[in-house]
Amino acid sequence: MFFALAAIAVCLLFAFPVFWLVLTSLRPGTGVYYVHRGTEFTIDNFHEVLSQEIVLRALFNSFMISTLATVLSLGVTATSGYMLSRFKGPIPNAWFSLIYIFRCVPYVAWVLPLYFVTQELHIFDSYWGLLLPHIAVHICFFSWIMKGFFDGIDPSMEYAAMIDGCSRWGAFWRVAMPAAIPGLTALATLCWLYTWNEFLFALILTAHETPILTVVMAQFVHELGMEWHLMSATAVIALVPALIVTLFGQRYVIRGLRI
Amino acid sequence: MADIVLSNVHKVYGHVVAVTDINLSIKDREFVVLVGPSGCGKSTTLRMIAGLEEISAGTIAIGGRVVNHLQPKDRDIAMVFQNYALYRHMSVRDNLAFGLRNRRVPAHEIAAAISRAARILSIEPLLDRRPHQLSGGQQQRVALGRCIVRNPKVFLFDEPLSNLDAQLRAQMRLELKELRLRVPTTSIFVTHDQTEAMTLGDRIVVMKDGVVQQVGTPLELYRKPANRFVASFIGSPSMNFVTLSVSADGEHFALGCNGWQFRLPARRFPLLGSHVGRSICVGVRPQHVRLGAPVNENQIPIKGTVMVTEQLGDEQLLAVRLGDGEIRIAGVDPDLSLPTGSHIEAAIATDHLHFFDELEQI
Repeated sequence: MFFALAAIAVCLLFAFPVFWLVLTSLRPGTGVYYVHRGTEFTIDNFHEVLSQEIVLRALFNSFMISTLATVLSLGVTATSGYMLSRFKGPIPNAWFSLIYIFRCVPYVAWVLPLYFVTQELHIFDSYWGLLLPHIAVHICFFSWIMKGFFDGIDPSMEYAAMIDGCSRWGAFWRVAMPAAIPGLTALATLCWLYTWNEFLFALILTAHETPILTVVMAQFVHELGMEWHLMSATAVIALVPALIVTLFGQRYVIRGLRI
Repeated sequence: MADIVLSNVHKVYGHVVAVTDINLSIKDREFVVLVGPSGCGKSTTLRMIAGLEEISAGTIAIGGRVVNHLQPKDRDIAMVFQNYALYRHMSVRDNLAFGLRNRRVPAHEIAAAISRAARILSIEPLLDRRPHQLSGGQQQRVALGRCIVRNPKVFLFDEPLSNLDAQLRAQMRLELKELRLRVPTTSIFVTHDQTEAMTLGDRIVVMKDGVVQQVGTPLELYRKPANRFVASFIGSPSMNFVTLSVSADGEHFALGCNGWQFRLPARRFPLLGSHVGRSICVGVRPQHVRLGAPVNENQIPIKGTVMVTEQLGDEQLLAVRLGDGEIRIAGVDPDLSLPTGSHIEAAIATDHLHFFDELEQI
């Protein structure tokens, strides 16, 4: 009973900021500072932000970047995790060390060099300019998790497939990958959410050509004032796809991370 | 023809030698069992034959063709793994068909092969189930079916019965023997269980520390073990060993330790002559020690004290203190009451004595 009450209390604690965000998004601009007292609610904030072209473009860009980064990262991460799990020798060791070193670098320290690199490669403020850094980060962070998934899959299945007529690559693709689907789904969910919510790279590596939702959201705080109601409405809009992905993936995330 | 020939096969992992200089010739349709304790190199040898491990030195030939550098898929073999290794995302039917589809066998032939294998192994009602919906025994049958459908040159079994409970294991042993009659194929079976080795193998290869200790039929290994390791590994309960000193006594050799002395005629045991003044290890199987006084001069008397009795229903096993040592006696009448501490007399036929120096049987 105590644990149930404690669990409910923790859930309420986490849910409260979201509740406050939704409440703020439904208040008129003049009412955001007395949300707890006011009784006036409106959906005009949503109309207003959705009528702004930059918000719509940012929504589309964020969705595309998140989806592309997830698909491309998973392709590399799955093979990288498989190699770390199944192979021994100088190449996997070197790859493991490289990933480890990159993981040790503070996230923020990457931003400035990446800015110059994207400028140099003429991919600043483009899809590739944001996708490549995201993929690099995902490879470093998620290869370890993917290795754990493959460690939990009995390699005998792949040996059986190799005897049954598959090459090593065929055994990976046709036997190990399908067996790793819960893990891959968990990783895809985490990857997508991570990219969707990411702010720092988007802020530094994009400008007007490729607006990203998290950055556009922050731009409601400007020199003329703070439009909390519009920012909250945009945040609620941003919350919806994240919520759908989370609801879809939570079963796999829990199962996948348990392997 | 699918004979298998291993010539001077070595396997080294870094500085660790896993398998040393294996020479083995397996005839077409012969069923050979590799047996030994964990880490003896038996599974590594099997995996080298399968192509799942590279060979450090030597050659492996299947059906007269050296396969050292062939991929597993090109060796025309099938393998059953300890944990079945069924493709868990596929139905039983797809598991069986997987190897045939990879080889682009026409669909109607695949269906016929699956139907035949399912009939042989009585898994027809399971064909549309997933592996996780099957019991251990059923999964093992499916794994066998996956081998049968391919009709390969060689079957390889890597401890396939280890994960089954004792009752099911005994049943699967029988089924494997029946399967051999219905699908005669050259087979190599790896196990650490000497009962499986004795019951299944045409020949047994006993391994220890990566080295083949002896190759022979089950009876050869039981009756004439090459060394003390084979003698202790084959047979249940394990062979008794007693270290005795040897001295000349006229036309006899006198052997003895603290609490046990006996004489053997020199003309029947001439090899003991080289051990006079030294120690020798004498082995005798628990089944060859019989309660009661010797009835003729070919039997050696033993007098000892009962330490422990183990009731098995159809027989009793005794652990008897003999001087400083201990020997086990099998095949004792289960109705005989032998409380701990009681004195017993037993006899061993001299024909059943095995003599070992430090390395081999003499």
